[in-house]
Amino acid sequence: MKITQSAKEKTKVKILQAAVDLIIEKGFEHASLREMAKNAGVSNPTIYNYFPSKEKLLYGYIEQKHKEAMAILQKIEDFHTYTLREQLQTLIETELELYLEDREFIIQIADMVFHSHGIKIGKLYETNTLFIETVEEMLNISIEAEEIAEPPFKEHLPSLFWDYYVMVIAYWVKDDSEMFENTTQFIDHSLGLMEAVLHSDILNKASELGMFFFKTHMLSSLQKFSTQKQTLKKMKRKLGDVLHG
Amino acid sequence: MDKLPTSKLSRGKVVGKALLKIGAKKSKRYLTNGDKKETHEEIADIIFDALGELKGVSVKIAQQVALGMPFLSPVYLEKIGRSFNAIPSINKALIRKIIKTELGVYPQDAFEHFSMEAFAAASLGQVHKATKNHTPLAVKVQYPGIKKSIESDMSLIHFGLKRFAKGQNVDHIISEIEERLYEEIDYTLEAENCDFFRKNLNNERIIIPEVFHTLSTEKVLTTSLLVGLDFEAYLASNPAQTSKNAYAQLIFDSFFDSLYNLKRIHADPNPGNFLFMDDAKLGLIDFGCIKRVEGVFLKQYLNLHISLLEGENDTQSVEQYFELGMIEEDTKENMLYFYQEVIKPLDTLYKEPLVHDHYDFKANSDFSKRGFKMIFEVQQKQFHSVHKLNEQFLFLNRTLLGYYALFEKMEATIDTRKVKALMREYQ
Repeated sequence: MKITQSAKEKTKVKILQAAVDLIIEKGFEHASLREMAKNAGVSNPTIYNYFPSKEKLLYGYIEQKHKEAMAILQKIEDFHTYTLREQLQTLIETELELYLEDREFIIQIADMVFHSHGIKIGKLYETNTLFIETVEEMLNISIEAEEIAEPPFKEHLPSLFWDYYVMVIAYWVKDDSEMFENTTQFIDHSLGLMEAVLHSDILNKASELGMFFFKTHMLSSLQKFSTQKQTLKKMKRKLGDVLHG
Repeated sequence: MDKLPTSKLSRGKVVGKALLKIGAKKSKRYLTNGDKKETHEEIADIIFDALGELKGVSVKIAQQVALGMPFLSPVYLEKIGRSFNAIPSINKALIRKIIKTELGVYPQDAFEHFSMEAFAAASLGQVHKATKNHTPLAVKVQYPGIKKSIESDMSLIHFGLKRFAKGQNVDHIISEIEERLYEEIDYTLEAENCDFFRKNLNNERIIIPEVFHTLSTEKVLTTSLLVGLDFEAYLASNPAQTSKNAYAQLIFDSFFDSLYNLKRIHADPNPGNFLFMDDAKLGLIDFGCIKRVEGVFLKQYLNLHISLLEGENDTQSVEQYFELGMIEEDTKENMLYFYQEVIKPLDTLYKEPLVHDHYDFKANSDFSKRGFKMIFEVQQKQFHSVHKLNEQFLFLNRTLLGYYALFEKMEATIDTRKVKALMREYQ
C-alpha cells in the first residue's frame, strides 16, 4: 500500500513531537531513537527511515518549524501590505512562538550549539533552505515594489538574516524577562536598525539598539557590581595592578 | 517624526542636561542674590522641559508628577498636553505578536475584523478598531516592556527630584506616582474600574464603554467603540454656548457625584479622556487613573468645604485642617500662621467657583493661571514641606483644578447649586 504524502507528514510530526518530549525529559544524550519510536507508536525501522540519526532528527525539527511558520504567514490575508521589516519581524516572531512550547528542548540544543559544541553551527545551515528562500522572496518583492532600492550584496542578505535569526534564538534562550519581552524589544529595535540600514538612517537606529542593550543589560550588571563590594574591590585592585605596574 | 529617546542612557542624558541647567540657575541665584521665586519657577520649567523631552513612559510620569507635586509651574499643563501623543509606535508584526501572546490567538482569529493601523494613541500604547459579532470595538494594546521602562525611569527621576526639591521629602510622592503608573499599565485594573463606573455612575448622558473581558488581559483592553469628537475638535466645531455650558456642567456634577456617591474619582483630567458625542452625550474613556477616596477623609473634606463656603472663622478651619493631617501640631499661633500663610490662599482659590450659584469661566479666564501661580507661591514658603499635604486632598484638588482649566478653555458657565445640595445631603 502506498503511503500518501500527508500520512507521511503526520507520522513525521508525531515522531518529532515524541522526540522533543523525550529529549526534554531525558536530555539529548540519553534519549534514544528506539524510545522515541516507542513513544511515537512507530516501529524502529520506521523511525530510522525518517531520521537515520538524532542529529538528522534535530535538523528535521528545525525544517518542520520553518514549514509551520510559512503556513502561518500564508494565512495572513493582508500580509502583502506589511513592510519588509514587518514581514521579517513576523517571520521571526512566528518561529519563536512555535519554539515556545518546546523551549526546554531549544535550550538544550542551543547549549550544544553554542557551548559544548556537540553540534556544529555550520551544520545548522543545512536546514535553512526554506527560511532563506522565504527571506529572498520578501526582499525581492520589496525591491520590486520600490519600497527599498536594490541593496549592495543583495544575494548575501538572506543568509546574513539567517545568522541574525540564530543570534535572536541565542538571545531568547537566555532571556529571563517576563513573557520574553526583552527578546521582543530586541527584535523590534534590531529590525528597526536593519530597516534603517536599508533606508539609510543608520545612526539614529544604531544608537537606539545600543541604548536598549545598555539599558537592559549593562545597567543591571553595573548595579550588581555596586552591590557586590567584594567584586568591586577585586576589580579595583586589579585595575591598580595595571595602573601601577 | 521626533526621535524618541528609548534608552536609559539617552533618558539619563536628558535628565542630566536638566540637572546641569538647574545647577547653573542655582549658582546664578547665589551669585546675584536675585529673586528666589523666579529662579524656582525657572527650575520647574527646566524639569518639565526635560520630562517632556523624554516622552513615552516619562510623559505619564510627568503627568503624575504634575498631579502630585504642587511646586511645579503652570506652563507644564500645555507642554504635557502637546507631548501626550508621542509614544512608541507598534508595527503590524508587533501587534500580531502582542495579541497572540496575550489572547492566545492572532488578531484575525480573535476578531471578525481587526485594523492593523492604530486610530488613536493611548496611555503607553495605541488603540485599534476591530469588530466582533458586528459590534465595533476599541482594542488598546500596550508596548512590551513598559514596566521595566518605568522602573528605570523612576529611579532616574527620583534621583533628579530628590536633589532639587529643596531638601523636602519627596519619597512618598515618588512612590505614589510609581504606584499610579503601575496601576495604569495594568489594564485588568482599568477594566474593573470601567465596569465599576459603567454600573454605578447613573447618568444617562454619560456613556462609558463596555469591557469585553474575554478579549482583555493586563496588556490588551477591548471595549465597545465610542464615537464622538475629541476636546479640540469639539471646540473647533464652534459649539453653542448652551452646549458648552451643558458639557461643563455634566463634567462638574459627575465629578462630585462620583466623589460623594461612589467614593472614587476619575483622577486624570486630561481632555483626551472625553468624547463629545451626539445628543449632548459625553463619552468617558480611559479609566487608567482612578483615585479611591476613604470615607473618613471624605467626611472631613466635605465638612471643610461646607464650612468654608459658609464662611467659618480661621480658628475653626485650623482645627479641621489639623484633623485632615494637613497642619502639624504646634502652638496655636504657629498653626494659625501656617493656615493663613499656606492653606488659606489655596482655600480661597478652591472655593471661588463654588461660592455663588453660578461661575462664569469666560469672565474669569485667568482662573487656572491664578490657581497655579498661587499654588506655586505657597510652595515657595520655606516653612512648608510637602509631607504636610494630605495626598488625597491634593489629588482631589488637582483634578478639580484640571477640570476648571478645561471649563476655562470652553468659556463655560457652571451652576453650582446641585453640587452644593449634594454636599449638604452627605453632611
